[in-house]
Amino acid sequence: MIARRLITVALWLWLAAGTMLSQPLAADDKSGLTIVKDAHFGEVLFYFYQEDYFPAIVRLLAANKQTQLENHIDESELLLGGLYLSYGHHLQAAEIFERLLVDSVDQDIRDRTWFFLAKVWYQRGYLAESQHALDKIETELPKPLEAERTMLQAQLLIDNSQHDQAIALLGDWPGEDTWASYAKFNLAVAMVRSGRVNIAADILDQLGKINPQNEELSSLRDKANLVLGYAYLQDGQPVAAKAPLQRVRLDGPFSNKALLGVGWADAEVDHYRRALVPWMELKDRDLLDPAVQESMLAIPYAMAKLNSISQAADHYLNAIEAFYEETRRIDQAIYRIESGEFLSEFLAQDALETTGWSWKLEALPEAPESRFLLHLLATHRFQEGLKNYRDLSYLLRNLDQWQQSVDVYRNMLDTRELAYNERLPRIEKSLGQADLDGMAARKLEFDARLNSIEGSADSLALATEREFDLWGEIIALERNPALQASIPEAEEIRDKVMLLRGVLQWDLDKEFKSRLWKIRRNLRQTGEALVKSSRSRRQVEEAMRNEPLLFAEFNRRVGGLSPKIDDLKARVEIVMDRQRVFMLGVAADELRAQKHRLDTYTVQARFALAAIYDLAATATADTGFGSR
Amino acid sequence: MARIRFSSIALSSILWVTAAFAQDLAPLDSDSALAEAQSMEVGEAQARIEFRSLDQDVQSLKKEVLDLNRDLFLLEEELLFPANSQVAFFISMDVGEYFDLDAIKLKIDGKDVSNYLYTEREVSALHRGGVHRMHMENLKVGDHELVAVFTGKGPGVRDYRRGATMSFKKGIGAKYVELKITDRITKQQPEFVIKEWE
Repeated sequence: MIARRLITVALWLWLAAGTMLSQPLAADDKSGLTIVKDAHFGEVLFYFYQEDYFPAIVRLLAANKQTQLENHIDESELLLGGLYLSYGHHLQAAEIFERLLVDSVDQDIRDRTWFFLAKVWYQRGYLAESQHALDKIETELPKPLEAERTMLQAQLLIDNSQHDQAIALLGDWPGEDTWASYAKFNLAVAMVRSGRVNIAADILDQLGKINPQNEELSSLRDKANLVLGYAYLQDGQPVAAKAPLQRVRLDGPFSNKALLGVGWADAEVDHYRRALVPWMELKDRDLLDPAVQESMLAIPYAMAKLNSISQAADHYLNAIEAFYEETRRIDQAIYRIESGEFLSEFLAQDALETTGWSWKLEALPEAPESRFLLHLLATHRFQEGLKNYRDLSYLLRNLDQWQQSVDVYRNMLDTRELAYNERLPRIEKSLGQADLDGMAARKLEFDARLNSIEGSADSLALATEREFDLWGEIIALERNPALQASIPEAEEIRDKVMLLRGVLQWDLDKEFKSRLWKIRRNLRQTGEALVKSSRSRRQVEEAMRNEPLLFAEFNRRVGGLSPKIDDLKARVEIVMDRQRVFMLGVAADELRAQKHRLDTYTVQARFALAAIYDLAATATADTGFGSR
Repeated sequence: MARIRFSSIALSSILWVTAAFAQDLAPLDSDSALAEAQSMEVGEAQARIEFRSLDQDVQSLKKEVLDLNRDLFLLEEELLFPANSQVAFFISMDVGEYFDLDAIKLKIDGKDVSNYLYTEREVSALHRGGVHRMHMENLKVGDHELVAVFTGKGPGVRDYRRGATMSFKKGIGAKYVELKITDRITKQQPEFVIKEWE
């Protein structure tokens, strides 16, 4: 067991989903607890918890291939699905979930997982797949998610022109919370799309009068009022339009459009002086906003209506000049975008360290074209496209790094092979000199001899060299003819020699067993060393046989990598180019639309100015004619 | 002067786009808005198809690069740390309330082999149950000694430095050693345990 930490089964999915929702995790669910039993599984979690999904996936795939996750087989696959989902590899994640999200996983986790997949798919424009994932949800999700799920379902229905179903779904929304307000707004959208404008107006009117509890609701309230006001304006009801438009906050994101609309509501009933009040407020705001641009034409229009012709002409001229300058800036921005610098700047401020679906570009880089592209940031397609571009950049850098590593591996292999070939003759020579078989035979011979010594209790055979010499001297003395004489001196020496022999024999017998044991132990150790040496020799011989095969195998693997990396890099670059062109197209189209609008306004301004000049010329002619 | 109505070109387009969680506005019932909206829908559908085709290519490339990374990861490990001599040192944490980890230093057979400084993110990942493979080494078959020195903040947010030693035997085949930081609740002190792991 590597760690005592308890982790809920399939928590990975929850965690993966959690990173997308930024919701706190409910760690109190202790059902189905498990223990991290494989170090490599824990290692995958180490990267997963840091939201480094790419290395986490690589480690999981590698550990799986090496069967290092035997204690976590089911969990590891589910974790892999969660990792794929977090990494934005949604098709692969879905494949795993289709296979694994069966009865073995809690219904709650299963439903949440399908919901997050539906969300990812919707944002990526996979509408049918998103619907398929929503259809997989069997039970009600926890409250905030359930509301989001219903909203997503309604959105899919509206996208699919199934307005009646969307209306039915949103119609009976319970409660008065933020989601209920969103539901009302979307209900109004579905009503308008299905032609029920009057009912939609009632809903928007209710929504436009709510008491907002937060910025989100304030914004929604403003939006409802703006839509309603413009709906009345286009329906020829300027008086009715004014009330909702005046409910829009003056400092909110919709204030410019509301001010413009209020002005038009007054102008429609010929209250031009009153119309000038909101329009004059507008004209000093950011010219990028279409409402501000339109106000620059509306002001001289109202002035002309109030017979301030020369002032009107000045304002038209100012507008034409301002539109020209803005158009010039847009042209420069389009040029910069099309030159390709644009996306590099987008990613330059991002460390590219994390690889997750939840990444989002929060602010545009400081570039001349950025101010024209602000609202692109809010679109799913732009954000998801940018994520793809960023992921592709990561893949390209990853492949670049591996390409360098592969070169190092190739050098390493060459060096190893060279060193091996240099050492091989020396090793072969050493092996040839070492007569292990002869040594083993001698050892057996020693064993037999020792057995014989033991059997015959031949203590002299185990005598030390000194003892053996002493024994020889004693024997030599015994055999000395001079000592055989029957004289008292000879007899005395014979007794002493006998005594010496007896003492020596005593000592030899006394030491015999201990010496026998020691020799046997040494012989056993020699035998063990011989076995080890034989084993080592076999290993060396095996290594000598295998090493060339191993080198060949490594060379094959390393050699095959470079073309594979090159091929993948080329393909990543192609898709990156396509993605770049797509993103640049989206951005350039946005700018061209802005330019087109300015062109139209410029034409309208010139036309109005020409009309004013005509009027002035006619008036002068009339005056001249009259004075004559 | 003829009554000029400067049509809200920009507004007619923003008024169409789908609510998308109430992000945009609803269309108005006017022919021009409808025509523009219809043309926008066609453009939208084309862009969606193009985006999807690109996205599918990106997905497929991701899979191929991930698979290649897996193969390269394994190759690198086999090349640099062959199974016969491989020893991997893992760091794990169990509770770890009495110790705020800063760094770990490893010595094998008296030689410094690794000194790792942990980031907050990494420590948090360890707290949540992640296991960090701190070091890999090639060692010969036989006996070895490992000394690990843990540095950080101990109880009372005081500087804390403790060592742990272990002798281990390297046999044939890969070996894993776990260095675990745990809490000894009775003494309210951290405990550093080194374990051989099969």
